[in-house]
Amino acid sequence: MSTTLAPPPRGETTQRPGGAPSRRRSTRLPKALHFLTFGAPGLAVYLVFVLVPIAMAVGTSLTNRNPANPPTKWVGFLNYTRLFSDDDFLKSLQNTLVITVIVTVVANVGGLAIAMLLDRRGKLYNALRAVFFTPVILSSVVVSVIWQAILSDDGLLDSMLRSLGVKHPPGWLSNPDYALYSVAFIITWQMLGFCVVVYLAGLQGVPQELMEAAELDGAGPAARFTNVTWPMLAPALTINTVMLLITGFKAYDQVQVITNGGPGNGTTSTVAFDVVQTTFTGNHIGYGSAMAVVMLAIIAVVSTVVLRVLQRREITL
Amino acid sequence: MRKILAPSAIAVTAALVLAGCAAGGSGGKASTGSGTKAGVTLTFLTFETPNLTAKYWDDAIARASAKVPGVKIKKLVAPSADRVGYAKQLAASGQLPDIMIAVSPNGFAQAGQLAAWSEGQLTDFVSPHANPVGGKVYQLPYNTQPTPFVYYNKADFAAAGITAEPKTYQDLLDDSAKLKAKGITPFVVGGGGKDTWADMYPLIGAVATDTYKQTPGWLAQKAAGTAKFTDPAFTKAAAKIADLAKAGYIDAAGLSRSYADDEQAFRDNKGAMYPMGSWFAASADAKAPSFGVGVFAWPSDDGTLAVPAYTGGGMSVSSKAADVPLAQKWALAFMLDKTSLDNSVKTDGSIIALKDYTPPAGMGPVYTETVNLYQAAVKANGIVNAFSIETGDGSMPAGLADKAAAGVADLINGKKSASGFGSFLDAEWTKANQ
Repeated sequence: MSTTLAPPPRGETTQRPGGAPSRRRSTRLPKALHFLTFGAPGLAVYLVFVLVPIAMAVGTSLTNRNPANPPTKWVGFLNYTRLFSDDDFLKSLQNTLVITVIVTVVANVGGLAIAMLLDRRGKLYNALRAVFFTPVILSSVVVSVIWQAILSDDGLLDSMLRSLGVKHPPGWLSNPDYALYSVAFIITWQMLGFCVVVYLAGLQGVPQELMEAAELDGAGPAARFTNVTWPMLAPALTINTVMLLITGFKAYDQVQVITNGGPGNGTTSTVAFDVVQTTFTGNHIGYGSAMAVVMLAIIAVVSTVVLRVLQRREITL
Repeated sequence: MRKILAPSAIAVTAALVLAGCAAGGSGGKASTGSGTKAGVTLTFLTFETPNLTAKYWDDAIARASAKVPGVKIKKLVAPSADRVGYAKQLAASGQLPDIMIAVSPNGFAQAGQLAAWSEGQLTDFVSPHANPVGGKVYQLPYNTQPTPFVYYNKADFAAAGITAEPKTYQDLLDDSAKLKAKGITPFVVGGGGKDTWADMYPLIGAVATDTYKQTPGWLAQKAAGTAKFTDPAFTKAAAKIADLAKAGYIDAAGLSRSYADDEQAFRDNKGAMYPMGSWFAASADAKAPSFGVGVFAWPSDDGTLAVPAYTGGGMSVSSKAADVPLAQKWALAFMLDKTSLDNSVKTDGSIIALKDYTPPAGMGPVYTETVNLYQAAVKANGIVNAFSIETGDGSMPAGLADKAAAGVADLINGKKSASGFGSFLDAEWTKANQ
């Protein structure tokens, strides 16, 4: 049983539990105090580590700041106009989009398929879930070093192919035609376990009654998946898609460790990689900040739009 | 909850990227070291390699500190071979180390972040005016590194019927053809992972013989706008590398090899010739491969010696160090310590550029042959700058060496022609100066 207690009219005397009657003060002060006690530390952290750096980066992006070439001057939107005629940046942007699309689509599809295979009870399935989730908890650098050892010319994969009689196995990392896809594959591999776990949680939340009802109505496995399971997985799809989009857009570690943006000029360079190179190797801190701001805008817009679209199809029971 | 989590994740992700760019004010912190009544604590940026281990640095620091009382050193270790990039990141957040070793002064010196060395402090050095920035020297020129020499597998040469080291570029092509006919890849190259620079050495050799030998100040002319990378003087060198790759003498698949894998590939006999800096000599002596190793200079068309070399690599001191004179005194004590220098020779194949310095006795045959070849080039007036490794006035703008290494990969992969490579470098040079 539950009851709803209406608040007493403002200024009315009230009885505090276990305490003496007192005149109730305005609720504004306790609310402010409540906010200051619990909200202010979080807000301060958010302000200092999120909003202030963003504001500083936006400010820096409007200058020509370069420690090797002082003084720093205000250049307005010059850095932004330069960006869109900069072949290297446009190539990085294109690579980032390719990686993001591959990671988002393949990890989602693969993750769902594996989750459906693992959606069973038993020790073996529990062990397999742990196996698939392991890459997620590994550092990206560790994962990159492992895959570099596998995919390099003298690595495990090509050595195996040579032993099977392939005279000239593909240069997974040295051939500019393959390198970007190798990087995208590695990021996908690492994110697959995350998708599996989220989809598994979603699958286990599908009410059994619905499935049974659909079966009684004559729905086959495909129809049950299309009409029951898939709609019920909408929240999982939303989380996975947004997280994969962010992972794709901010891809840096794998590129830095495995290819350093190559082979050749910008073959696997991503926007995040370009930001670091431009800022810290080229000393163009103002220009690099402009790249970072554009990256922020792209991530924010794409993620927000995708989030809204996917949330619309979510089903609330 | 999800509605809160997802936008928050977006914001935090973006902020982390942005924070990297906005870090550090223009002023920065005065110094990462600190002064106390008992003395001064100074930060010292080092780097570790299989040759220069943590113990090597700790022992050398202890010896220098014993000579300069009142200094306590806090050692920092660069997380990767890119110590310049790491130093820039530290500088951007106001944490430039007080003392650094083997960090190019380019960029730092122009920004006023380094203290210049005086004439009096440079009297012990063979090339006291090496790599000046605005006429002043900011890095102690203690070590000369011929980059590259061509180290070769004597057994492979013998198997291919090659009886003498190539003297001219045509000899090199003929020998490469003989090696390939025997099923031996002539050149081992690297350039994979973070070690993109490891593909540069054949080009550095060719630029030495075809560009710098004829015009020693060619890069300064480029900086002054009177020369271009598309000029025949440069594209001739680039074309040689493209042609070597096209003929199958350089295996493009090697571009996925890191620097360490590159050396291992030579040791594993995956190619007969290994163009590399003189530091390989110490490695070859310390851990001899299963075959004899010889060395020759990258040959010119007419056989005259043109050996690219860089003298520098020593200490630089932050202009914001807690006590600049004391930091310089400590850095000099470190740099001139005979035991440290001997260790550097033994472990890293250094050719010490200090007056009256004699290397330790009992150095191995590859190091001895390397030094003899270098001395022969000095006598023949055949030392030229090492393309892309130069620092100081008239050198490449920051970041261009990385672009050059990326361009060389395109040359080897056949994605760029020699003239296309030249145009690419010209465009990147313009961009770097914007």
